[in-house]
Amino acid sequence: MKKSLRLGAILAAATVASLTLASCGASAPSTSTSGSVKSIKVVIADYSKANTGPFWKAFATKYEKTTGIKLNLQIIEWNDLDQQSSTMVQSGNVPDILNENAYASYAADGLLYNSDEVLPAATKADIIPAFVKSGTYKGKFYGMPDLSSARALFYNTDLFTKAGITAPPTTWDDFTADAKKVTALGGGSIGYAQPLGPEEAQAEFAIWLFNNGGDFKKDGKWTLNSPENIKTLEYMKSLSVTEGVTQNNPGHTNRTDGAFSLFEQGKAGMVVGFSPLQGALDTQFKGVKYAIAPMPSGDGAAPQTYGVTDYLMSFKKKGNQDAVKAFYKLYYSPDEINTWIKAEGFLPVTTSGLKVFGSDPKLKVYLDTLPNIHLTPTDDPEWDKIALTIKQNIGLAVAKNGDPKKFLDDLQAQAEAGK
Amino acid sequence: MAIATTGRVPARSTPRRRRRTPGTARAWEALLWLGPALILILGVVVYPAITLVATSFNTYDIVGLRKGPAGFTNYTNFLTSPDLGQVVWNTTVWVAAVVVLTILVGLALAQFLSKEFFGRRFVRWAVIVPWASALVITSQLFRLMFDYYHGIINQFLMGLGIIHKPVDWLGDPAFTMPSMIAVGVFVSIPFTAYLFVAGLNAIPTDVYEAARIDGAGAWRTYRDITLPLLRPAILIGVVLNMIYVFNSFPVIWILNGSNPGFGNDTLITYMYKLAFKSSQHDVGLAASAGLFNVLIILIAVGVYLRFVGWREATKA
Repeated sequence: MKKSLRLGAILAAATVASLTLASCGASAPSTSTSGSVKSIKVVIADYSKANTGPFWKAFATKYEKTTGIKLNLQIIEWNDLDQQSSTMVQSGNVPDILNENAYASYAADGLLYNSDEVLPAATKADIIPAFVKSGTYKGKFYGMPDLSSARALFYNTDLFTKAGITAPPTTWDDFTADAKKVTALGGGSIGYAQPLGPEEAQAEFAIWLFNNGGDFKKDGKWTLNSPENIKTLEYMKSLSVTEGVTQNNPGHTNRTDGAFSLFEQGKAGMVVGFSPLQGALDTQFKGVKYAIAPMPSGDGAAPQTYGVTDYLMSFKKKGNQDAVKAFYKLYYSPDEINTWIKAEGFLPVTTSGLKVFGSDPKLKVYLDTLPNIHLTPTDDPEWDKIALTIKQNIGLAVAKNGDPKKFLDDLQAQAEAGK
Repeated sequence: MAIATTGRVPARSTPRRRRRTPGTARAWEALLWLGPALILILGVVVYPAITLVATSFNTYDIVGLRKGPAGFTNYTNFLTSPDLGQVVWNTTVWVAAVVVLTILVGLALAQFLSKEFFGRRFVRWAVIVPWASALVITSQLFRLMFDYYHGIINQFLMGLGIIHKPVDWLGDPAFTMPSMIAVGVFVSIPFTAYLFVAGLNAIPTDVYEAARIDGAGAWRTYRDITLPLLRPAILIGVVLNMIYVFNSFPVIWILNGSNPGFGNDTLITYMYKLAFKSSQHDVGLAASAGLFNVLIILIAVGVYLRFVGWREATKA
């Protein structure tokens, strides 16, 4: 601590500390092998600690046994997945199979195999047409769906009974009125748990605007600031700002640790949920009595179901085509795909799967709507950036001083500028 | 390594029998000794630094694919981004507040810890705990404690009747930065306090005796003897904390995790969002932000050291 420490040394230490933190990935030439590959790298999203790992490890063993090709499995948390996959691409170290919630940007870069190259025709024919459509970019099917989920309105029947509500709301006016009644119960009751924080806000926005005749894109054109969308977002904002029927600060509430957890604790009257929430309620939070209903409609039209599917896309690398083909063949065999989807509590993506799952009464409310499910425009690479902007900024638009119209106008401008 | 150690350079054990004067080892011999460290430095400092610079001069699309050279567009885009002003302001407030509070609390705590009292060993251990646990875990714990609905802090304050309705510690713009600063101080204190304890122990006791004989009171002794003699330790504490706090990612990332926009981001989390979370989703842009960050902290540390007269202080 005397003379030995010099200014230079301190500055060097500062440089080291900053640089180590600052450096992102590296760009290196992609490696290519001749002939067929001996192993493939498969990157899978971690849907749940309990089921994802066991299923994919068993899958890898089966794959190795049938093909003789080693399957290097890497399971990554959803929160880190996007960062890791883009680092893989940047460093020229792409996996053979990647499980993600977006594929179109990769397809646009020409990095992916399409279904003609790697998917057996019978398998493609088995996939529900709505998902083939959402996985198709410029006429080719790149984004093979691994599983799907559909959103619906969950309501707490105990709170509804206490508030004197006999049936779930079918219109937005009913919805507001019911949410008010639940809020009026006091004791910390919240009418509607509304997650508009950065985690998954695009999903919350989507389900409301689909039920008001809105959409992100119509006839190939962006319609982000359409009158229906503006009305929808203004309504969503009014729930917290003028009606006061939501939890505190919806724009700063994430889904999993915010809105869902309020519903799981029996504090929230309503929340938009999906089958994994149902799973949690049936196993961990048995005290909460709930029921599921279609979304209330803002424009008087029939309720729309908002669905989500994730993708298993495959990267073009020398010599891996047959190995990738064998992967899809095994994955889409009914024993594999249905086992996994069932374990994770999601919904099928194949027609054969619909039949298998049809026997479960709990899933009926979703399955009936699955073939007509309403998806986000994941087939447009531009959507990947639009979705990021919605996640990051919609919370500001629904704040007290937020401006829904300006937010959507800016979003439309962003989409049209294509940047 | 093996060749070098067979009696070739027994510098440490028998310095007198060294054949050459210090500083004149043959180049290959020096390299052999420096090799492992050099490889490490090349691998973890120089290579990432070069990559960072290279990345910042290239264009990447949303999936991370290189699209071609960018010239200086990443830099101009970064420096003209509308959120930068707010982010720089946040960073300034964050670093200044955390460092100043850490030094003040650290000084007081060190004074306390260097006194003999019953249970001192226990207290010293307790102070070290926040340092020993991972920042991510500490931040996550604080996130739970600050929670609007279930957080223990709101329940505690409401129980005492200090507040009558919950405070949104991590969502209300008025409280978010102060809450993050509190956690930042909490995790910075152990290192700083121990640095000062070591500094206090290094002050010879006869100086205090002399002061007492001369009739100096407690405050006078502290101001005129302890503080000046602690000056080198304080300087190092400030400089290292500036760097740590500036680069601190987990505290802000986790506590600010459910807030939209960039209203509470510092340069470090902003850089990460530019690369992976914002609609730009651009590693090239983030790399230019990274270089900017390095420059900023170097300049800040340099200015501070110049301002306090570093060379004079370390001669003490």
